[in-house]
Amino acid sequence: MSTYKVKRRDFLKITGLTGASAALAACDMPTTVTLEEGEEEVVSYLMPEEYVIPGIGVWYASTCQQCDAGCGIIGRVREGRVLKLEGNPVSPINKGALCQIGQAALQVHYNPDRLKQPKLRQEGKLIDVTWDDAFAALKSSIGPDSGLDGSRIAWLTGTVSGHQRVLMDAVSEAVGGASHYAHETLNDTVVDKVNADVYGSANVQYKIADAQSILSFGADFLSTWGSPVHNSVQYGQFRDAPRGVLIQAEPKMTVTGGSADLWLPVRPGTEGTLAMTIAAELVASHGADATKLPKAMADQLGQYSLDSSEAQTGVAASLVKQAANFLATRAPSLVIAGGTAAAHEHGYEAVTAAAMLNVLLGNVGKTIIPVADFPYPALAPKKGDTAQLAAFAKKAKAGDISVALIAGTNPAYTAPDQLDMAAALSAVKVKVAFTEFLDETSSMADIVLPLHSDMESWGTHVASYQVADPMISLQQPLMEPLYAETRSLGDTLLDVLKLYNAEQYGPFADYYAYLRNVVSAVPAVAKEGASDEAYWQAGLQQGMLKVTAPKPFPAAIATAANDDASDALVKSADTMGFVLPVYEKNKDYPLSLIPAASSRLGDGRFANLPWLQEAPDAITKIVWNSWVEMHPATALYYGFKQGDFVEVASAEGSVKAQIYLHKGINKDAVAVPMGQGHTEYGRYATGRGVNPLKMLATTSDVQTGELALCATRVTVVSTGRNEELVKMGGSESQVGRKLVGTITADQLRRV
Amino acid sequence: MHTKDINENLPWSQINKDVMRSMMNPRKAYWVAIIVCIAMISCAVAAEVYQYNVGMGPANLNWPHMWDLYIATFIFWIGMSHPGTLLSAILHIIHADWRKPIYRFAEAMTTFSLMTAGLFPVIHIGRLWNMYWVLPYYSDRGIWPNFRSPLVWDAFAISTYLTSSALFLFIGMIPDLAICRDNTTGWRRKLYTILSLGWRGDDRQWRNFRRTYLLMACFLIPLAVSVHSIVSSDFAMSVMPGWHVTTFPPYFVAGALYSGCAAIMTLFICLRYFFRLEDYMTIPILVKTAKLTFAIAMVWTYLNLIEFASIWYGHNAVDKELLIAKFTGAYSPYFWMMLFIGSVVPFTLASEKLRTHLPTMLVVSLVLNLGMWLERWMIVTPTLSQGYHPFAFDVMWPSMIQWAIVFGSFGWFGLLFLIFVKVFPCVSMYEVKEMCYHRKREAMGVGHGSHAAGGAAGAVTASKTDLEGS
Amino acid sequence: MSLENILENWSKYRKGHEEGGYHEYEHMWGMAIDLDKCTGCNACSVACYAENNLAVVGEEKFSKGQGMHWLRIERYWDEPDLGEDKVNEYQIHGASFIPMNCQHCNAATCEPVCPVAATYHTPDGLNAQVYNRCIGSRYCSNNCPYRLRYFNFFSYYEDSWPEPLQMQLNPDISVRDKGVMEKCTFCVQRIRTAKDDAARDDRRGPGAVKDGDLKTACQQSCATQAIFFGDLLDKDSAVSKVWEKHEVALGKSSQNKSNPDKRGYRVLEGLNTDPCVMFLERVREV
Repeated sequence: MSTYKVKRRDFLKITGLTGASAALAACDMPTTVTLEEGEEEVVSYLMPEEYVIPGIGVWYASTCQQCDAGCGIIGRVREGRVLKLEGNPVSPINKGALCQIGQAALQVHYNPDRLKQPKLRQEGKLIDVTWDDAFAALKSSIGPDSGLDGSRIAWLTGTVSGHQRVLMDAVSEAVGGASHYAHETLNDTVVDKVNADVYGSANVQYKIADAQSILSFGADFLSTWGSPVHNSVQYGQFRDAPRGVLIQAEPKMTVTGGSADLWLPVRPGTEGTLAMTIAAELVASHGADATKLPKAMADQLGQYSLDSSEAQTGVAASLVKQAANFLATRAPSLVIAGGTAAAHEHGYEAVTAAAMLNVLLGNVGKTIIPVADFPYPALAPKKGDTAQLAAFAKKAKAGDISVALIAGTNPAYTAPDQLDMAAALSAVKVKVAFTEFLDETSSMADIVLPLHSDMESWGTHVASYQVADPMISLQQPLMEPLYAETRSLGDTLLDVLKLYNAEQYGPFADYYAYLRNVVSAVPAVAKEGASDEAYWQAGLQQGMLKVTAPKPFPAAIATAANDDASDALVKSADTMGFVLPVYEKNKDYPLSLIPAASSRLGDGRFANLPWLQEAPDAITKIVWNSWVEMHPATALYYGFKQGDFVEVASAEGSVKAQIYLHKGINKDAVAVPMGQGHTEYGRYATGRGVNPLKMLATTSDVQTGELALCATRVTVVSTGRNEELVKMGGSESQVGRKLVGTITADQLRRV
Repeated sequence: MHTKDINENLPWSQINKDVMRSMMNPRKAYWVAIIVCIAMISCAVAAEVYQYNVGMGPANLNWPHMWDLYIATFIFWIGMSHPGTLLSAILHIIHADWRKPIYRFAEAMTTFSLMTAGLFPVIHIGRLWNMYWVLPYYSDRGIWPNFRSPLVWDAFAISTYLTSSALFLFIGMIPDLAICRDNTTGWRRKLYTILSLGWRGDDRQWRNFRRTYLLMACFLIPLAVSVHSIVSSDFAMSVMPGWHVTTFPPYFVAGALYSGCAAIMTLFICLRYFFRLEDYMTIPILVKTAKLTFAIAMVWTYLNLIEFASIWYGHNAVDKELLIAKFTGAYSPYFWMMLFIGSVVPFTLASEKLRTHLPTMLVVSLVLNLGMWLERWMIVTPTLSQGYHPFAFDVMWPSMIQWAIVFGSFGWFGLLFLIFVKVFPCVSMYEVKEMCYHRKREAMGVGHGSHAAGGAAGAVTASKTDLEGS
Repeated sequence: MSLENILENWSKYRKGHEEGGYHEYEHMWGMAIDLDKCTGCNACSVACYAENNLAVVGEEKFSKGQGMHWLRIERYWDEPDLGEDKVNEYQIHGASFIPMNCQHCNAATCEPVCPVAATYHTPDGLNAQVYNRCIGSRYCSNNCPYRLRYFNFFSYYEDSWPEPLQMQLNPDISVRDKGVMEKCTFCVQRIRTAKDDAARDDRRGPGAVKDGDLKTACQQSCATQAIFFGDLLDKDSAVSKVWEKHEVALGKSSQNKSNPDKRGYRVLEGLNTDPCVMFLERVREV
């Protein structure tokens, strides 16, 4: 126990004694052993630390911070160390399950490359300093005495929510109007816009479990899109009898595509055409009512026939027919669009066309439910995207940003070269990185403030995807901080705020005290009669605070949900002059690049976690490296073999990686997974593989201005080298031996 | 001269002289050979020390190739141990007296190849410091080895066979050691005095000697056959395709005799050349050995065909696919090479012209041994590369660590053998004399030679007199 | 000395698995995995790494096939080679995923071949691996038709958990050194804890641990609830019901199905290994 540098008293000082005892009460989880039970059977330490019983693991609830889905987690704590994370069974989001990335949060916490010491840039080099020195530097940059125009300060973060966002906004206000840019490479900006335009709310719930057939355009909802664990829980029920049928239309097979009954290899950028063709087929063969659609779209349906679609989308007419048939006969259906479908110049139109299928099939209000915004807008997630990053870059390059406060994002890695983040960041005089690791961005910073890991800090969060009634997820420390010279982001923000407004923030010793106070301030009606302490402790035990919505869902949305051609919908379709693009061949760059979202490494932020590096990719089974996915027919045409090192070149750049051949990718596409190619991100990530994001063209979605990830055309050139791929497993097929048995649904008696 | 197995008029004093000469005064080439062997062993020792410290990883062993060259070479050396028993015990019992000039070094080969083979299980296991756990030693915890495991049978079989063959070699040498004792001085004399166990060559000693020798021979024959059958059960008792083969026991025994006979030919030619033992290791004997090898090669070929055929008509898809993979997959060059060497090359042994040509025979015998080594590799590895579970299909090539240890094992064997030929008579003097005696009587029309103890005893006694008289 | 034990209890020891083995089983832990629900997401595999102190070996060793993944998700293509027509040129039925962990065969082929009896069947019906006893002959892995045993080719601990990653290691189980075989244990440490808890409640002996008292790490993490785990001797356990519903029984080398919708099967059960893990076939609409 005493091997940690931070002693128990420091821990208590940070978390607050109340917090610790509350956390103790939180151990009363269904799967826990309580202290009372354990007490009789253990030999205590000579000098026992309170609440630690040797040999007894206690589970504490918290919230996963690996992505913004906000899954509830429980962490097993034994002898003061957190050992394992599991899903919180009472969380409505993940119902006890947890994805591989969430479980690997432990390796963020225990990562050998975590920053232990603040750093300041002196004479071009980052030098280790004490926290006090680093904070003093921060103070002189953005403190009241800095004399800086507040509007020259900018936040550059990932998606933030909860009181972290509240405090960031408070800092912005205190310094005098700092701007806030949130950047996420994998985002739903386009989908949110379509949802707002079509369904009347950017927040919709996809009732996967209730559907009998699902058609997903590019949305890898089981792995990288939306709330994957929640969707997977629902998917499990979806496959229960009566078994739902899943159709996935995407250019490169994702985890979700791998589970599809029918996988449609749509040519990149023609998802909208495919959606319209299915709509036309539904109207023509299955009696769907075209008048449900806005006129501008209904009029166009005639242009989409199965045959012309096949030439455009590359999907065989018979498969489209089958898909339409499933949707028509297996009601209720659900059409989801996102991910690669939205990542094109006309992604908005493609997603809209898919949304129209929901309208046509009458799913709105049944399997797709628009919901109100989070009742406390100050806590609601500020969702990131690349459009905001581009705006930041533009402003920075214009010399209008003096201080950038960077947290939870790594634009120097994720931004395409065309955005020239290096120039943008170097135009910023003082870059402050709040981070746990030295990555591409923080290594460019002038002040590096090492943060507590998520296992060490308090927090509140609001999930980007609302699965049920609104709630605030609670994050509590699962163990003492490993390092003395790290602080939580909340504490640091409070410290900054105290510089400006000692009266308001002074009473809060730390972020914990602040949060505790905030919860106390929750109106009694929301606590449903519970005392303040009971409400707080229940929150800690469950890892979430239920908040009662102050207002019901707007009546307008409720109506829109059932009214097939809502006003908003008609307006949107008509005003934008709904036009779908025609697939154009490009002689110099014949193939479309899919920078594939990785189910293991996300957009690259998990590349420093060894479990995830060694976890094989679901589709290719490749580990530790990058690869280029290609259709065997394409490879045959260009003369490539499995394992060939090729150069994938766009007009903007190129990457070199080995080829993996499979038939789960459109012939006109190549896919390079995101996540690798770090130049600075610790021992597990640095110098490994390639980063396809760098070579992207800065084509944007016309309607939203969001970067179109899949709009880059590339050519593939051999380098003449061939090596065996580093992957798990030998044979690609079962060679006739029954390992995975498959039966057709006809054989499956429907109950 | 080329028609007789041995010149029966060879004076017995000459026999003693020739053989004793081969044991004395090593020449430069001998020391070079010793140094080469030690260098080879050093490679292996270095590799093994590294492997001991780091683990089995650097050997390129992997999932699913848990076994590889170590086990293949283990079987190879076990196989090498068989013809010594064949020559000394089986041919002894069936009264094929042409074996007499060459059985001693064959027997030594048996013992030394077992001593080499025995190293491999130790080298190959992950925690060799716990090797003794496979033996049923007394343990207070009451822990026994698993008697159902073929590896435990191996441990019993090999240790028994090693003990027995060493004893057999030693017992068969006693009369010769007495001759050595009587004709040497210094440390040799002391050594031979102890080892000859007070041999005086009287009738009682000869009678007991004969009985013991015959008994050991009878004991050794089933043992030799069972040892390789048991080694084959390492594979035959498993469930894996390509291993779970009913014909494996005879197949292994045939392969063992095959490689061993080829090795005998190699050593035959070397000894004959280096020690100028042309009078003893005669061409007719080589021809007989070659014929024997050829016969065994055909048995081996037949057993191969049986295996292929039964896999084919047995119609077990897994076995069949493995066989096809052997013929066409990554290992196919080696598999074809093995079939070519094992079944086609031996036809050189059928040619009278070729089999009397010593350099050719040397090359052929070495090639045959290479083929037999490939056979063992092709038994062990392709099955691991392509078993039941397609996800575990893989191809793996051994690393330098494995090669170094395999290479070094030849040095180890060579060193033991080199020491043997300078310390012990590599030709059985008393049996050669017996052979000459019987051949002479045959030539004189006295009748077929008797193996009665008295006759032989007389022969050796006579030899002593002969020697003294010269 | 156990020789007497063997002699006295010979009849008990000589019994084959078809007679229920030589144990008076207290439990028979078994699993059922619904391949129609498995999405191949790999959460179970990472959960296994976290729970069982599995070494991360790095790219070079992984490329040599020296990785340690007790639970691996296998992915097969229906037809990896180029198809001839427009439909078959793509994998229109998605991929086939199957999580493979130790099948805990009742007639395990790995058990009889171990020279030192380091792998044996426990009275819980587990195929146990005793690390301390293992000498690393690796015969068990060779004789496992599923290739589910992994060998410590190196002292992986030396560089798998650089400071402070080693603090995550589960203290309930050991970290293995070079030279020993390891494999899925059905989270035996969780079973032990559940048994201890049951004993505390005065439940002992056969059937002491009730259904739901424990979940394996993989089962716990599975979002689609594709993994069932429990006591096959307890007829009321969820896993027994799945086995029963899909007409899979222990002690057989082939199952007679009343109807093709009984999706249960065991991998390579024709080899008469009698695995305790059964799978439910993947379903495809077309």
